[in-house]
Amino acid sequence: MMKTLRHKQIQFWVYISILFLFPVLFLLYKSFTLPMRYETHLHAHFTMQGWVTLFSENQLIQATFVSLGIGAIVVILNLIVGLTAGYALAFYDFKGKSLLEALILFPIIIPLLAITIGVHIAMIRLGIADTWVGVVLIHLVPTIPYAVKILRNGYTSLGTAILEQAYVLGPDPWQRFLSIDLPLLKPAIRSTIFLTFVISLSQYVITAIIGGGNVVTLALVFFPFLNSANSTVLAAFSIWFALLPFLFYILIELLFLLLPYQKPWRTRS
Amino acid sequence: MKKYSLFMLIILLLTACGQSNNPNTQSIDFQHTSWSDITQKADSTTVNIHMWGGDEGINRYIDEWVAPKLKEQYNITLNRTPMDTQNILQKLHSEKRAGKQEGTIDVIWINGENFKNAKNNELLYRPFRDQLPNFKKYYDQESLAFQYDFGTAVDGYEAPWGKVQFVFQYNSNKIEEPPKSFEELKAWVKDNPGKFTYPNPDDFSGNAFLRHLLYQSADSPESIIEEPFSKQHATKHSQEMWSYLNEIEPHLWREGKHYPSTLSELDRLYSNGDVWMTMGYNEARAEHMIEDGVFPESTRSFVMESGSIGNTHFLAIPYNSPNKEGALTAINFLLSPNAQLKKLNPTYWGDNTPISIDKLSAEDQEKFQSLDRGKTVLPGKKLEESFLPEADSAYVEWLKENWKNEVIRND
Amino acid sequence: MKSSGTTKIWLLLLPVFLFLLLPAYGLFSALWSSLIHQGSLSLQTYQELFQKETFWSSLFYSLRITFIATGVSLVIGLLLTRTFYPVINRLPGKLSVWLPMLFPHFVWGYIVLLLFEQSGLFSYMFHHLGIIESRESFPILTNDQNGIGMILTYIGKEVPFVVLMLLPVYVQKNHQYKDLVRTLGGGRWAAFKDAEWPWVSPILLESGVILFAFILSAYEVPYLLGATFPEMISILTYDWFYAGDWSERPLAFAAMISTSILIGIVSWGLYAITNRKRWLLTKGKR
Repeated sequence: MMKTLRHKQIQFWVYISILFLFPVLFLLYKSFTLPMRYETHLHAHFTMQGWVTLFSENQLIQATFVSLGIGAIVVILNLIVGLTAGYALAFYDFKGKSLLEALILFPIIIPLLAITIGVHIAMIRLGIADTWVGVVLIHLVPTIPYAVKILRNGYTSLGTAILEQAYVLGPDPWQRFLSIDLPLLKPAIRSTIFLTFVISLSQYVITAIIGGGNVVTLALVFFPFLNSANSTVLAAFSIWFALLPFLFYILIELLFLLLPYQKPWRTRS
Repeated sequence: MKKYSLFMLIILLLTACGQSNNPNTQSIDFQHTSWSDITQKADSTTVNIHMWGGDEGINRYIDEWVAPKLKEQYNITLNRTPMDTQNILQKLHSEKRAGKQEGTIDVIWINGENFKNAKNNELLYRPFRDQLPNFKKYYDQESLAFQYDFGTAVDGYEAPWGKVQFVFQYNSNKIEEPPKSFEELKAWVKDNPGKFTYPNPDDFSGNAFLRHLLYQSADSPESIIEEPFSKQHATKHSQEMWSYLNEIEPHLWREGKHYPSTLSELDRLYSNGDVWMTMGYNEARAEHMIEDGVFPESTRSFVMESGSIGNTHFLAIPYNSPNKEGALTAINFLLSPNAQLKKLNPTYWGDNTPISIDKLSAEDQEKFQSLDRGKTVLPGKKLEESFLPEADSAYVEWLKENWKNEVIRND
Repeated sequence: MKSSGTTKIWLLLLPVFLFLLLPAYGLFSALWSSLIHQGSLSLQTYQELFQKETFWSSLFYSLRITFIATGVSLVIGLLLTRTFYPVINRLPGKLSVWLPMLFPHFVWGYIVLLLFEQSGLFSYMFHHLGIIESRESFPILTNDQNGIGMILTYIGKEVPFVVLMLLPVYVQKNHQYKDLVRTLGGGRWAAFKDAEWPWVSPILLESGVILFAFILSAYEVPYLLGATFPEMISILTYDWFYAGDWSERPLAFAAMISTSILIGIVSWGLYAITNRKRWLLTKGKR
């Protein structure tokens, strides 16, 4: 039994290295070297130029914090909508449920640009265009569908039985949510947080239009450089961009450690 | 309860009309305000410039040189925001439709189709150019390059900031003698299959490559530049161009089955050595690319004997700029000889100046003339001689549409 | 079973309804723009759109690429998850599987380009190892007419997403069912079919619908890795959208809406079929 697990682990890391680790390491390598010439012999020109360019971008640090802040609020709103709707969709049957599920997907199906342009005028009239509130709202459009779907699936795989047992614990729904639902749903919640944060972070056009340049997120600084033939600079920017959700993820993991009833549920495999 | 709140929100969204807390910024008439009053009002304000942000040299020019100078000389805080011109216009367009009179952008960087769009949709503040002291003093008022922007009358809605010319870059290690004409280019392409391609005309530079051919294809460039655009006229004069493009297609990179969709894709191919030529506006663009190690050291540039298209790029003020005095002051500063000289310097941007050198002081003239733009940049005289103006911007769209039918779907 | 009634359902659904106002409002204004033709309401734009051969050929091409990319991502994602979920559920495993999700699609596409293009890393390696003579002998895998470059990018980016969707199911799944089937004498296939597939299939299907919708309407990857011809529908609509003087916008909106409605109806149908099944499953009465 132990042996197969060990074997599996090795197999897993081989696959993962080829599929995911190698490309990322290659990108990291690119960020420190000049573009290679095909005919020349195998040796790399080391350079810090990519990273120097990155940090000489004077809006970088501020934009990074703006992105973190907006991402955090988007994540919280996503959890609120996702947990409530996910619960209803998983445990109740009602008329028009299938239609509602398809409707929730709509924001992914319709090109965001079309939605954004329509919403923009309404936002200007409401006075929330050019503000972080508007940007947060528009970031909900490409994220909520994922949150609802993931959390709904999380609830479904828990099954009703386990939540029924929880009724024994007492009538306070909030207490029940904190001590039963939340720890059990942790994998789904973790996925939601991670995914919605990443999606929010990488929104460029909709942030530019709704934020009107008043809200400068990291995407606004980063995306114009994508149109550059300089792979060194592009690679450095991309790595920095990817570090942000990584840091956010670690922060969330630390928060999770503070949750009640941590151990008993975790060790079950 | 749910239904009620839904209803309320919809009503709110639909009826809330233009928040009319604007102090009617539009009605301020600067025509009768003296320049010193304008700069005085601009004192200790913030100017928001929104511009494309994908070039490190340009960004540094604004952030490291222009912004501190503006602070020092006029006590203006310049705030640069990276944003595509298309998105800026989209934003202004929506604001216009929503009746928003106080926007967030004071200065934009614009030309060509975007300018035409902005002007036609009334997204720009009224004509201001001729009020700028630096424009009046150092620029050729009569120059056609400032009267028309891709065939659209400028009418003072924008002020010239820089000018660029279309040049080809080639690897001098691979090519000893670059082609002088499109005929020679064709012969070279046939001799060196797979080593040349041009960007898809959906790209700005790819489109310019085609316009060069179009000028050549017509009896003379003037018949394209001077006559107003019409489909018949375009079709009539483009036959030779299409057959040229179809003739070279099988010898292009990847046998013309795929064209780079952007100039940066072509630049990357050139950087990798897949192709031996690239091209683009800004005669000094290779300097930065070599410095960054993207282009090989042996890169040089050339223009065709039939000429090279050049255009001017401009600065404009959106109709709802909240700080028009600041915008005017900043634009005037950007047009000044000092700011133009720094812009020309290859350490930052290397962008050419639309200023009239002969109107400058002897000292400044000397500074401009002695500036070394780098070994990849053709001599100023050569560039001037080969200069061709842009045609009506309607050609840009027309070429995009027809190229696909004539060249791509043809095979 | 739950007695609290409809009020509670509506209360729970209130946030999502409020949210849906946003895209709904956007959709209606897009629809409105596509229905206005020369100042009056008409279906003229749609007629014009449906007569365009470029629209149809581009749509079918996009559907083909999207189907392949979605299918392959689902299969690889499922295999990875069910084989390795104990490893993936630990922190290092999870972090490494989710690694590609940290990068925007555009960046992942760029990596694919740097690796697979004719002068990319692999070609370079093969050349220096003496396997190929020149870069031209390396197969064309990017900006190719079969969309291989795009599909490779989507596999890299979407497999982690599929794993992310499936992982909670496998981690939370009641493994006793599987043991039960095995104890009762069922083979591996029976164990999969009866104790695994019923839980996995709805989520797989749902991930498929999401991926399908996303890939069909995504712009960045085809922009970077698509061929000049044939072009993906998103590129076509984007071109119309930003064309010169914005005069082709109604056409762009019409194309966006037609494809959206198509996917919308298909996904509604799929949900209607699976919901029945899932409902029984949740209640543990299957």
